[in-house]
Amino acid sequence: MSMAAEPNELRDDVLNGLQLSTQLERVWRTPSGLFGALMSVDHKVVGRRYIVTAFAFLLLGGVLAILMRVQLAGPEKTFLSADKYNQIFTMHGSTMMFLFAVPVMEAFAVYLVPLMVGTRNIAFPRLNAFSYWMFLFGGCFLWISFLFNVGPDVGWFAYVPLSNLQFTPTKRADVWAQMITFTEVAALAVSVEIVVTVFKLRAPGMTLDRIPLFVWAMLVTSFLVMFAMPSIMVASTSLILDRLVNTRFYDPSSGGHPLLWQHLFWFFGHPEVYIIFIPGTGMVSAILATFARRPVIGYPVIILSLIATGFLSFGLWVHHMFVTGLPQLGAGLFTASSMLIAVPSGLQIFCWLATLWDGRPVYRTPLLFVIGFIVIFVLGGLSGVMVASVPIDTQVHDTYFVVAHFHYVLIGGAVFPLLGAVYYWLPKITGRMLSERLGRWNFWLAFVGFNIAFFPMHILGLIGMPRRVYTYTAEMDWAHLNLLSSGGALLFALSFALLLVNVIYSLRKGELAGDNPWSASTLEWATTSPPPPQGFDRIPVVKHRDPLWADGESLPVVAGLSVERREVLLTSLAEAEPQIREASPEPSIWPLLTAVATTVFFIGSIFTPWAVLWGTPPMAVTLIGWFWPTGSKEDEE
Amino acid sequence: MTEATGRARLLYWAGVALGPLAWGINLQGVYVLAHFSCESARMSGTILSAALTIVALLGSAISARAVRRGAGAEWTDAQGGGPRTFMAWVGVGNGVLFALAIANQLAASLMISPCLR
Repeated sequence: MSMAAEPNELRDDVLNGLQLSTQLERVWRTPSGLFGALMSVDHKVVGRRYIVTAFAFLLLGGVLAILMRVQLAGPEKTFLSADKYNQIFTMHGSTMMFLFAVPVMEAFAVYLVPLMVGTRNIAFPRLNAFSYWMFLFGGCFLWISFLFNVGPDVGWFAYVPLSNLQFTPTKRADVWAQMITFTEVAALAVSVEIVVTVFKLRAPGMTLDRIPLFVWAMLVTSFLVMFAMPSIMVASTSLILDRLVNTRFYDPSSGGHPLLWQHLFWFFGHPEVYIIFIPGTGMVSAILATFARRPVIGYPVIILSLIATGFLSFGLWVHHMFVTGLPQLGAGLFTASSMLIAVPSGLQIFCWLATLWDGRPVYRTPLLFVIGFIVIFVLGGLSGVMVASVPIDTQVHDTYFVVAHFHYVLIGGAVFPLLGAVYYWLPKITGRMLSERLGRWNFWLAFVGFNIAFFPMHILGLIGMPRRVYTYTAEMDWAHLNLLSSGGALLFALSFALLLVNVIYSLRKGELAGDNPWSASTLEWATTSPPPPQGFDRIPVVKHRDPLWADGESLPVVAGLSVERREVLLTSLAEAEPQIREASPEPSIWPLLTAVATTVFFIGSIFTPWAVLWGTPPMAVTLIGWFWPTGSKEDEE
Repeated sequence: MTEATGRARLLYWAGVALGPLAWGINLQGVYVLAHFSCESARMSGTILSAALTIVALLGSAISARAVRRGAGAEWTDAQGGGPRTFMAWVGVGNGVLFALAIANQLAASLMISPCLR
């Protein structure tokens, strides 16, 4: 929808300097006070909340990991009971995957993508606010349940028949299944926003081949979320139906099938790994270009790799099911795809190494984390190629070898780039630099601690230690390696404590960052640190893949947007040619109220099917409120 | 935009679309056939994979032709600014990569008996 031109409307081509900034800030700012904060639809405010909340869940998930490592540090320890251990490893996996890894990547995207593509707000900003509240409420629901001893204890994959009513008669499996629904709704909402932002809100001139690599990575990730997550929502909803109203989706005696669960779960579960990893590669590309002082070598090759990885990630899920008795030819097909996905990942790694080789690297903390990523991820990839093979997988299935493998891939592939990203982009978000000295300590503690914690698990798996056991006997001869692993885990945890100290110190006493402290090339560094509510006073025009390196101080801009109301510029998909001006929604309390109503509906529906009846009217009311015409300028279209 | 221009624009994207599409059909097709091909149609998976390898390569060829036909001038690597040629190049690579993936699966169907459980 386009805005009709209003002849008397004040536009940004007649104001300049401080006058323009002040006027735009007045229009785009989040209202003050608690009520104002709850109404915010600014992508930077929502992004910051998302980041802080996701890191809070990382902290909680990390505490659980330490509890498990204390329990396993020696044989026959009684620090945790078997029941508590089951809850803790389930909570650890669910928290890390659903409440930290996916949301934190989306959180960075919510904050950075609009700035990187040179627009003033994310597409569908109210949906963005709704998404955050859903994520927060879903996470709180899971953790409050855990504190009341109703935490799920069926693994982060909740296999049937273990999670059926017969074997889990309490509400624990329902809590897991409904937490999934919360977080998936949130993730799907963010993905839609990212796709539309990247396709329609790019600055003029930012053609498809000038989009920053991090933005490309988030675009591919968003498509993965949109195609993978419906599968797990179908699975978790049908599980709740089986448990609540006696449907028989997973009951073989009535025509259902337990393997249906595994197919639905892993059709989501394997792309999930790439939903976490691909944003990490985007972060790596951004950091690497800045600190190697040259554009990343092989821009088209990296895009090709991202797209190919995205597609291939949907053809690997059966490698999680090699021991379920599938036809060997079927398993062979998935072995082929699983090994082939190493090709695009390998292409990216060669591009990054070539960039380092050809650049003039400056070894600051973000780059250290990127180098740590390359080392750890390559090791994780190698063990991945091993378990892609049916005979090896059959041997090591459900052992600690697999635990080692996926921690190398997920922590190496996502957490190390993420920590690099924190050091790289926090100055933009807070306006203050993190301490370089503490950062280097943080990196080395994390790198050494991680490898001491997880490398021994490969050996433990190969000598037969199974996953998900709460203790073991002294005769098994696993004690020394477990003790070593627990010591490494403590070091690794210490590195996160150091990060926290660094962030708190920096917020209070950190050096002022300035607009572009790293002399980086992408548009988010063209605005102040932290950015003003409007993002940019004028929308930049992009003429180069690295606009700040090419145009430096004199970045061309486009003028003509309203300064009396929230307005963004829409551009064409491939060429990014200006098309129309469109209103951007004002702050609103309705996204929060809709999230509250949805929460009541979701939680109620694990206790009674009648919640579908009494839960939907409040949702309908809040949605009507959300879309009710207010007579504001944004409705005059 | 004329109809001919519209068709020409679509050709840039052929490799990006055809490679993954062929691979997806192959994966699902052979996986489904594996359940039946022990009793009959033992070569069905092999034939399907061979045909789809060609489809993926065809995608690459169409994208390569689009690049050669004059789009090359619009794109200079360092600056960007030629999105269609860029996507055509990505299409060339994509077609080859997915042809490789299908060929790998073809090798599996040649080596492993569909009767093995």
